[in-house]
Amino acid sequence: MLLEQLINGITLGSIYAIVALGFTLVFGVLGIINMAHGEIFMFGAFIGVIVTSVMGLPLWVAFIAAIAVTAVLGYMLERIALRPLRGKQGVSHLAPLISTIGVSILLENLSHHLFGAGNQPFRNAFAEIQIQIGSITIYLVQILIFVISVALMLALSYWLSKTKAGKALRATAENLETASLLGVNTKRTITTTVIIASVMGGIAGILVGMAFNSVNPQMGLSMGLKGLAIIILGGMGNVKGAMAGGLLLGIAETLIVAYGDSGYRDAVAFITIIFILLLRPQGLFGKNTAESGR
Amino acid sequence: MVLELKNVTKNFGGISALTDVSFTINEGEIFGLIGPNGAGKTTMFNVITNMFLPTSGEINFLGEKISGTKPHKITDKGICRTFQNIRLFSQMTVLENVLVGRHCRSKSGVFSSVFRTKSQQSEEAMTREAATELLDLVGLSDYEDVIAENLAYGQQRRLEIARALASNPKLLLLDEPAAGMNETETENLFDLIKEVQKKGVTVLLIEHDMPFVMKLCDRITVLNFGKKLAEGTPEEIQNNKDVIEAYLGSEEDDDLDA
Amino acid sequence: MLGELLNPYHLQIVSFVLINIILGISIYITLSSGQLSLGNAGFMGIGAYTSALLTINFEVPIILGIILGALVAGIFGILIGIPALRLSGVYLAIATLGFGEVMRVIFVNWESVTQGAIGLSGVPHLGREVFKTLTAIGFDPEILGLKNNQFIYLIVVSILLLINIFIVWFFVRQNKSRVGRAFAAIKMDEKAAESMGIDITYYKVLSFTQGALLAGFAGALYAHVMAYISPADFAYHRAIEILIFSVFGGSEVIWGAIFGAAFMTIMPEALRFISEYRYMIYGAILILMMAFRPQGIIDVSLLQWFKKIIKFRKGTDHGTGIKKRH
Repeated sequence: MLLEQLINGITLGSIYAIVALGFTLVFGVLGIINMAHGEIFMFGAFIGVIVTSVMGLPLWVAFIAAIAVTAVLGYMLERIALRPLRGKQGVSHLAPLISTIGVSILLENLSHHLFGAGNQPFRNAFAEIQIQIGSITIYLVQILIFVISVALMLALSYWLSKTKAGKALRATAENLETASLLGVNTKRTITTTVIIASVMGGIAGILVGMAFNSVNPQMGLSMGLKGLAIIILGGMGNVKGAMAGGLLLGIAETLIVAYGDSGYRDAVAFITIIFILLLRPQGLFGKNTAESGR
Repeated sequence: MVLELKNVTKNFGGISALTDVSFTINEGEIFGLIGPNGAGKTTMFNVITNMFLPTSGEINFLGEKISGTKPHKITDKGICRTFQNIRLFSQMTVLENVLVGRHCRSKSGVFSSVFRTKSQQSEEAMTREAATELLDLVGLSDYEDVIAENLAYGQQRRLEIARALASNPKLLLLDEPAAGMNETETENLFDLIKEVQKKGVTVLLIEHDMPFVMKLCDRITVLNFGKKLAEGTPEEIQNNKDVIEAYLGSEEDDDLDA
Repeated sequence: MLGELLNPYHLQIVSFVLINIILGISIYITLSSGQLSLGNAGFMGIGAYTSALLTINFEVPIILGIILGALVAGIFGILIGIPALRLSGVYLAIATLGFGEVMRVIFVNWESVTQGAIGLSGVPHLGREVFKTLTAIGFDPEILGLKNNQFIYLIVVSILLLINIFIVWFFVRQNKSRVGRAFAAIKMDEKAAESMGIDITYYKVLSFTQGALLAGFAGALYAHVMAYISPADFAYHRAIEILIFSVFGGSEVIWGAIFGAAFMTIMPEALRFISEYRYMIYGAILILMMAFRPQGIIDVSLLQWFKKIIKFRKGTDHGTGIKKRH
């Protein structure tokens, strides 16, 4: 029983990790919290619904479509809501927070308009395929989600550490001005970052659709808030922390539902972050610097 | 004896910013703290005002041990400072800046402020009067309603002094008050600090402008690499071999004539 | 004649505006000491549930219920405000947002008390209760040429208006005093403020608590104006809405929060004819605002400009010739 719950938790947690990675990339490079990330994630999920359930096309087409759409959304987010605020005199650090909130409101209501307010079923061919190992049941979907998530994380880690663009991103995250002096095209790097983060969100959207078989416009909000909680848990801007924090939260929530009161599932994330912020503002996996949390 | 430092040491991580520094400042003195950049002068200010706790050693103010007291309480006890890189409340008017400086000498709370009780009104009037007097003293009375960040650099430095004086300090700490000032401004500053001294305020100042320091100060302590190098009257300091060596050896161009 | 002018629907919108102004001021007050709190929806909920439960279950008079609701929210404000001192900027925003979510989850799950997601209905209505009292002593709204429901809404609006005037008066005066100067000093430079003898801890907790108290007060009023509350009323969307009041209107000055609350409440109503798109427009406005006027519509220089115009009209502009607020 416990093992099965752990598997459920890891499945959920790996999706959380992907969502949180999108948050953490943007925070790492731009130092802002992208409040629209949850809604971009939700758009990815709806593209999945349209491609598979409505048009009846295979799942891989859904992934490609979702990646394309969320990449465009990411680009537009950067151009419309983030770039105009950058480097402007007298703009408070809260301005990008608020303009991304604007984007999230826009997207949430746009999706009401486009997809309807209710739940949309997410069908896929192998939803019911399961594997029996001893007394434990594992769904094929769960394995698929886990594999895709891990592959994505590995690809991102490789990209960040080995490729030129990835190194440019890390340099920009370290210090925007220095990176610019060193010849990094910071404008392009930032745009790339926001697009990659959005695509991660879009992919996570399809994974959630696969895991829960249902999609609605409100899911962006709750996922967005959890993503926030995870990057606090893992340390803001910390890639490995986001992965570990996502897994931890997924497992913790699953265990609460299984052995505690399922109603308090959504509070787990927030009670955790309140304590983390107060006791260890740099996050569980962050380095202890004097200025963190300030 | 206004301020007494006994073997004050301050470490950051493994690095020692101040090592075993002791000196005393007498009442009514203008006391100079000089030394090459990075000698630990501003750290000394931060330790005296308890922005940093000393790693070891003791600081006494008017015979009372003050290390460990919260910074705002230090101000209350009568030590107030200015900052090397001017830290005015830049969006406030000149007058408002000085009124804030008066904070610890007034006590109106939320309710007396909102309902403008008699005592609050007279306190507010006295606060304003004191502030206008101080602005007069530093020569900014024509600029009361100007936003602080719109003042010229030298005026900002003077406003910072007025703001600090508003708390009625017995000891005033000035961190490079003459930095960035032209000759006339420096001369005015000289007169201002002498004026402050006449009012019975003891002054401890950090300054790089050597002719200014030598002319102004009664006594001087020289810091180098966090250690006390020498102490004495301006004359003694000017003729001290160690001091000359420290200055000529470490920073040929920067400090003696800065 | 008065009866034709007063449309209950319009009166209701006015009462929402007035409640939202209190909420706008509640976030402005915490911002005025440099703290961004997104927990005000949570405090609002605490105030609303406290007063609703007290009046429903213990037949506490509405006035007392509202005051207790505000006080309980204020106490929570102290409890949250003290540990929150360790945080600032974005971190404080997220932690307080988290607090709001935790409150919502508690409202949803503590079913035996809060009725869960269904919410509490039958909360005594402020207007109707006052109306009952007045009719008991023989007052008839017909004297004013008003129908009963018009009169009830009019009562609500009048009470809220008086409360608003009091609150604005209170905080305008506080701002101009030693306390307000301490808040502003902390907001502009915390270290310098501390060096000037300001007890940072005290004033930050004070402003956080004032914000919580006001939000709780607005929440309690909301409960008795709507007569129905549910956890969804105090969720994330409310927190964001409150933030927007201050940010859109202008977060530097109290008038910004007031203008923002009024505008943001009336605009969606006015845009009802394109209701399908109105929240999308709402989002677009936020994006455009941040790009073109991030300090909000009303800022210090706009207020100065207004004052000048008024002075000019009165012919008392002497012009000191010194560059003032640029």
